[in-house]
Amino acid sequence: MAKRLVVPGELVTEERKKLGSHVYISEGKIYSDSIGLVDDESNFASVVPLEGKYLPQVNDLVLGVISSEKFAGYVVDINSFYPSFISKKELREMLKPGSVVSAKVLKVNELNEVDLGSIRTFFGGEILTISPVKIPRVIGRDCSMLNVLKAGTKSNLIVGKNGWIWAKGGDTDLLKKAIDKIGAEAHMSNLTQRMSDFLGVKQQKNDAEYIEETEEMDEYEGEE
Amino acid sequence: MAGKKDELVYVDSKGKRVDGRKVEDLRPIKIEVGVIPQADGSAYLEWGQNKAFASVYGPRECLPKHSASPYKAVVKFNYRMATFSVPDRKNPRPGRREYEISKVCGEALERSIFVERFPNTQIDVTVELFDSNAGSRIAGLCAASVALADAGIPMRGLVCGTGVGKAGGKIIVDLDKTEEDAPDAVDIPLAIISNTKEVVLMQLDGILSKKEWQQAMKMGIDASLKVHEIQKAALKARYENVKGDDKK
Repeated sequence: MAKRLVVPGELVTEERKKLGSHVYISEGKIYSDSIGLVDDESNFASVVPLEGKYLPQVNDLVLGVISSEKFAGYVVDINSFYPSFISKKELREMLKPGSVVSAKVLKVNELNEVDLGSIRTFFGGEILTISPVKIPRVIGRDCSMLNVLKAGTKSNLIVGKNGWIWAKGGDTDLLKKAIDKIGAEAHMSNLTQRMSDFLGVKQQKNDAEYIEETEEMDEYEGEE
Repeated sequence: MAGKKDELVYVDSKGKRVDGRKVEDLRPIKIEVGVIPQADGSAYLEWGQNKAFASVYGPRECLPKHSASPYKAVVKFNYRMATFSVPDRKNPRPGRREYEISKVCGEALERSIFVERFPNTQIDVTVELFDSNAGSRIAGLCAASVALADAGIPMRGLVCGTGVGKAGGKIIVDLDKTEEDAPDAVDIPLAIISNTKEVVLMQLDGILSKKEWQQAMKMGIDASLKVHEIQKAALKARYENVKGDDKK
């Protein structure tokens, strides 16, 4: 599975392929628009980016931190371009600046402003950060990486698509090291295998599940 | 050397310049990516004696709000020179020259970025020069472009460029300070987008004939593409140098 590193403006393919993400067409050729990895064998001409900000998408599960209280609700930082707002009507408990919530993105408008719903609040724990484009690697195919992290550190994890990970209990120092390692090595293959070695987790019976993902992850549910 | 003592020969009979380069040679360039951890993207560039740090923040909320555009992201480019970057102390207050360079470089980068994907936001680009010796705006611009790529901001291509001009009657690439001070010197900072070769920055002071101009543009674009190769290698080196510790 040869993957090629490309920089912005570098040719992805001269063939006619279906367009994936992070590419653009100029004079009939397909170019990359950011630094990332290309799989030349895929039917799609697409680049998996290695850097970037969180661009909100409908149905994403995100983590937020309350930054201030208003009369009718709270301003919540979701690590995107603008802070979002949640109404007090949707909440049973009072929140304070610094409280951690998770929410589902209900609507994104043309300015990338976000409406949030199904809010849950979290008590205690801490937030770990990673680049939002590397979140698919934290989860892994069929949550394989997430299961390794949970087994290796015994922490409760909630992974938000905006690059924030809430963790409570277990060995959070080890978890932080593991997340940093994923961030540094996200562009290399066979990452789940290396992470399970790193965390001392025994490999599970089914080797086929450990083939690394190449595309964006499918939908996943945040779980406790 | 010619008769008078203070008359420099800018290009000698062997085609060598004052510092030993050929007419189409660049000064040595070194780029390092991701040097500022708290920035979204950053780069450090050494171009001959020029030393520049570039950092990128954003796209983020555009403040003050009246400067925002609902159609595109605003690129706020800040070019600054350190007080110790030139032989005489430079007043730290930004002057006419810095505002001008900030404007032209910001517009050059805006052409390369897909600004329309991030409405109502701003992209802050800060370039700080710690040492300068002719061609610093292009050095800053090339560093800024690498920093933007490091920040993951979608772009049509990297902005690469070089100085090109005339000294001692010959068209030469990447003038340094002694060549820029020649009595007949012409200096053209030139920047292009790597894959389309669209010219995004070009300034000219002095006079060139049509023939000289055509030669200068050709040499400038060829040299810019050499700079692009260095930028590309620097960006890739950041990932290729990471080795998995336990590949058994």
